Amino acid sequence: MAVDTLEKAADSGSAKAVSQDSRFQRYRIRTGMFAWMAHRLSGVALVVYLVVHVWGLRALTDRAAFNELIAGYHAPIFKIGEFLLLAAVVYHALNGLRIVLIDFLGWSPNQKKLFWSLGAVAVVLIGVGGYPTIYSLVDFFFLAG
Amino acid sequence: MARAASKSNAQNWFLHRITGTFLIFMLITHFWVQHYDQQTASVSHSVLTTEQIEQGELPEYEEAAALAVKERFGEDAEVTPYDVVMLRLADPVYAVLWKAFNILFLIVALHHGFYGLNNVMADYIRNPMARKTAKVLSWSLALVLLVIGMYSVITAGW
Repeated sequence: MAVDTLEKAADSGSAKAVSQDSRFQRYRIRTGMFAWMAHRLSGVALVVYLVVHVWGLRALTDRAAFNELIAGYHAPIFKIGEFLLLAAVVYHALNGLRIVLIDFLGWSPNQKKLFWSLGAVAVVLIGVGGYPTIYSLVDFFFLAG
Repeated sequence: MARAASKSNAQNWFLHRITGTFLIFMLITHFWVQHYDQQTASVSHSVLTTEQIEQGELPEYEEAAALAVKERFGEDAEVTPYDVVMLRLADPVYAVLWKAFNILFLIVALHHGFYGLNNVMADYIRNPMARKTAKVLSWSLALVLLVIGMYSVITAGW
């Protein structure tokens, strides 16, 4: 994907000029750029999660240690984390699917439409898939006396 | 040498898309059995306070899970996270399939994750020596996780 910078955009008069006061290049963030950044961020977060997850599952060989580990994962903070994990996975999977469709089937003319269509699918999946977690959190914080 | 490297890069680029596609299906299975199937979900929907966790209280499970655990491990078997997982990993018939699935899942996830991580690192680490070091360290970590993960999955319940 060709990348537009703020300076270039300013030259063509389509955006107001921005002074370059840092050594970092500043970019115009469009749909494709946003999708790419979010894909990277969620990807790195998922690798960190994968490391913690596999490392923690050493407890699988010891009944008491495993029960303690899993009980800990039922704390409110981890339940919120569980929902965020679902959101990261769903986004990364669907945007990844979009990348595969573009690379293998040449869907690039439709890529923006594809991004927003898959975005809608992602919202539904996160909503439906995360409902039990959200419900139990709402119950825990607000309903259980 | 450069030719071999570029061929390997192209293969890895292709493999990254294949592993990604496989991961979608494997993750659906993983999430289903671990979080949504009332009999096999070892992470349940109960939320525990810090005090409860410190007192050794365990999450509550659905009736379906309790029944299955008692049927498999006896009437007075406790319904704990460990026992719920062992419904699959200590099953006399299907444990081999679940273990094979988990090992394949582990290999595919580690390759996809660490290849992606190396792509990101290669973009931001300019110094060739530092880039090489990051590559060696990250793949070493992946190898350690592969060994640990395979050991945990294979020995669980056996």
